[in-house]
Formats: sequence, structure tokens, C-alpha cells
Amino acid sequence: MAIFNLKNREIECKVVYYGPGRSGKTTNLEYIFKTYKKQVTDQLVSIDTEGDRTLFFDFLPMGLGKIGGCDIRVQLYTVPGQVQYSSTRKLVLKGADGIVFVADSFAIRRDKNILSLKDLDLNLKECGLNIFKIPLVLQYNKRDMSGMADGSIPIMSVETMQNDLNRQLKVPYFPASALTGEGVGRTLKESLKLTLLHLQKELKWAQK
Amino acid sequence: MSIKEQIKSILQEAEIYRTQGLLNEAMVKYKIAAELVEKNIKQENRQKLIDGITKKIELLKETILKYNDPEITPKMPVEIQNLIKDKFAFSADKESAVLEGAIALSKFGQFERAIAEFSELLRNDSLRLVAAKNILRCHFANSSVDGALSQYEQWLKSGIFHEEQIEKIRFFLENLLKDKGIERELPLADIPGEKAVPEKATFEKSVFEKAPITHIPEQEEAEEDEFLDINSVGIEITDGPQKGKEVVLDVAFQSGKSVSLIVPGREKALIETFKVGLKLNNVQFYSPIAILNGSGVVSAFTKISSGPKMGSYSLDLKISG
Repeated sequence: MAIFNLKNREIECKVVYYGPGRSGKTTNLEYIFKTYKKQVTDQLVSIDTEGDRTLFFDFLPMGLGKIGGCDIRVQLYTVPGQVQYSSTRKLVLKGADGIVFVADSFAIRRDKNILSLKDLDLNLKECGLNIFKIPLVLQYNKRDMSGMADGSIPIMSVETMQNDLNRQLKVPYFPASALTGEGVGRTLKESLKLTLLHLQKELKWAQK
Repeated sequence: MSIKEQIKSILQEAEIYRTQGLLNEAMVKYKIAAELVEKNIKQENRQKLIDGITKKIELLKETILKYNDPEITPKMPVEIQNLIKDKFAFSADKESAVLEGAIALSKFGQFERAIAEFSELLRNDSLRLVAAKNILRCHFANSSVDGALSQYEQWLKSGIFHEEQIEKIRFFLENLLKDKGIERELPLADIPGEKAVPEKATFEKSVFEKAPITHIPEQEEAEEDEFLDINSVGIEITDGPQKGKEVVLDVAFQSGKSVSLIVPGREKALIETFKVGLKLNNVQFYSPIAILNGSGVVSAFTKISSGPKMGSYSLDLKISG
């Protein structure tokens, strides 16, 4: 639910990083915070967590400058991935304009990815949103782990992940490593592009 | 791959999962490794290896237990509470936004701050009752039954509520206590006449006069309801000898904005009131944390003719605002 201030020509929109627990949502935001200093307008708010688990949400405000005659401000959020924090996820998801789904490439987390995507679908419905209509980008995180421990960590192929998660959605996807930053920027840029295009269709804010 | 290499590889995998915070996955791998050691490694090295793995498993168990059972919700710094209050309130109307912000704070377990925010709303005539009930809910959610009781007693003395309002609060609190297995009759308001005396109120008279009659905007309230599971619904009887009394009915089933309620057969006055199409303007929707004011339309009302609830009535209420 973007806020469009007609008088000042300002748009404030919300992008939510969703995905199973420990898939790397917070690490994405941490990398963005470190790397895009020019665009980041305030501190990364990461609420104290138990063993690095997000209990509530992370929050990172960014300013993209003027696009189409409008000052664009974006607020990035993460949800807690652990199954038990369902009500918090719903609360954070409310009013989202775009979603980045961060999936875990570890083969052992295959089911968790699928369950989390189903959970997203359900929660979007409860917010009156549609997973096929909301700007959505998939990120296949932890691709760097395939080179670790002499290849002893089973990592899913991108094809397998596409088949599991993106067969029907057919949305843009990016292999990534939030830890090294590989693919993080591209994921964010694509998400912002889709979100702003969607808002342009809805609000017709850009000047021609 | 030799059995030793296999064990080594599994232990490496387990260790990576552990460092990644995937504790259950790490546990599974350590157990597989322990089984392989037990079955395949010679006597002299076996025990040492098993002891090492068992130690790792025990540590993992402790950590998993800690994560699965967090003691209490941590209290957030004021700046973060402010952020929640600001970012999780979606209404354009200022007072409704304050209510939403306070509800968000309570959902994030920030009960003390939520109580402070709800307390501010007690100044608003139209939100006073819903704010009061949310305050009581917060006390209960914060495991402070005593806090709720002392708050009620304080309100009785303060005179900020009308007699009708304090009666509803009393009824509400008694139900909360019942849910906790506490049967307790609460003191009634000692207010002469029909209404509380505003002059006794702790807030300035002008605040009451200025307070606009605002309700949570329909859209926002409907969306909020979709967020929340409604446990019970409070309906005010508008006709008959029990006029003004609030009846709380449990929700048997909820689908989006429709709730099915069971009206016990003994509630004759209530049964006579309900008709399909009847609009109920003063309905309260109770969720585990928040209470929302709203309205609803009776979409179906039928007598249950079989089963354990035979003789009771099934009331379908479509939340309309």
C-alpha cells in the first residue's frame, strides 16, 4: 500500500523480504545497508534476536531519488521465517507493494522453501493480495555453499528450484549469495523495477 | 567413498548446518554419523568418537529447546516501539491510526507501551470502551491478572466511564477471568444516576467535547479482521427487557469476514431479536489480543435440529464494517 503524496510528488513504497527461517533475508538487508550507502537514508533496524533469528522484523529505509518526476522512497522489511511467527509475518506483509522471496539452496531445505512459498500465498490472500499479481522476485540464496567442504553440502540445482518454486509463477529469479553480495543488488533492482512499474500502472504517477 | 570418509563428510555437513543455524538438520546428520560410527568403527576409536558426537547432540538439544521456548518477548527500545507504532498504522484518520499502532505494539508483545497508548485513547469518547478492553487484554497477555483487576478498580473510582460502559467492561473482565478458570464477581460501579459524572473525570471536559465521533474506517477494520482470528463476538441487545446488555458468543467457525456463532437455546430474548438481514451496529470482535468495534449483518439464523447443540441456534454474521 504505497503512500503517494500528490502535493510533494513523493511515493513511499514497501518491499518485503520473505522466505523460510535462516534463508538469508536479514543478510540481504545487511549487505544492502553496507553497499548502497548513498541510497540508504537511515540505520538498518534489526531487532535483537535470539541466536541470530529474526523474532520480529528488520527495517531499512532507502531513497531512490527522483524517478518520473517523483521522489521515491522505499522501505525494505524482512519477516521472521520460523514457522511459529506466523502472525508477525502477516502483520509485516500488510501493505506490501513488492516481495522478494529468499529461498535456501540447501537440498535439505527443499520442503521448507515450498512450505514458505505456500505460506506467502496464504498470507497474501488474507491481506487481499494475489501472489500472481503482486510484483515478486525469487532469489536462490547460498549458491556459494556449493564450493564448501569439498562439495559435501548438497545444493539444489537452479533448475530444481525453478521447478519447485517458479513453475507456475514464472517471475524473475536470481541465484545469489547474500553473504558475498553476489546477486543481492540484482535481486533488489529487479524487485524495485517491478514494484515501481506496478505502482505506475496503479497510480499513474510518472510524468511523461 | 570409505566409511571413514563418509562419516567425515556427514560430520562436516552437520557442522555447516549448525553454523548456518539449521539446528534440526544438523541434529539429524550428527545422529546418522553416530549410527555409522557405532556400526562400523573399531572398538578402540569408537567410544571417543561417539562421546564427541553425543556432546554435540546434547548442545544442539539445549539450543533448540531455548529457541523453541523463548521465555518472554523482549522489550524493544523506545525508538523501535515508535517505529512499530508509526509503520503498522495504516489509517488516515489520526485516532484510528493511534488505535492501530497500539494494537500493533500489543501484537509485538510490547504490552507496557501498548497500555500507555491505549490509555491515551481513553480520552476519546468513541474509542474509550475498545481501548479499555484492549488494556485489560494486554494485562492478561502479559500474565498480569492482578494488573487487570487493579486497573478495573481504578476505573471504577475514576468515573471516566459511563455506567453502561463500566458494566460492559465488568462483564468483559469477568469473561477473561473465566477463560483463566477464575470465577470472580467484580464490584459494580457506584455511580449515582444513569451516567458517570463527567466532572469527576480525570480528563478535561473539553477533551470529551472536542472528541469527534470516529470509528475505525470500514476498510481498515475489515482488513484487520482478516488478520485476526476472531474468538468471540460481543453483541449488544437492542430491544426487549435486556436492552443494552452485551452478550458474548463464541465463534464456531470463521471464513474471512463471515463468522458462525452459536446462540444457546436458553437465550430466548436474544433469539427473538435476530432475523436475517438485521444490522447490528455495535458489535465487538474479540481476538486473542485485540478487540475491534464494528458492525455486522445477520446472513443466516437457523435452529440446530440434531447433534450435541440441538436446540441452539446457528447465527451467521457477515462483518460489514
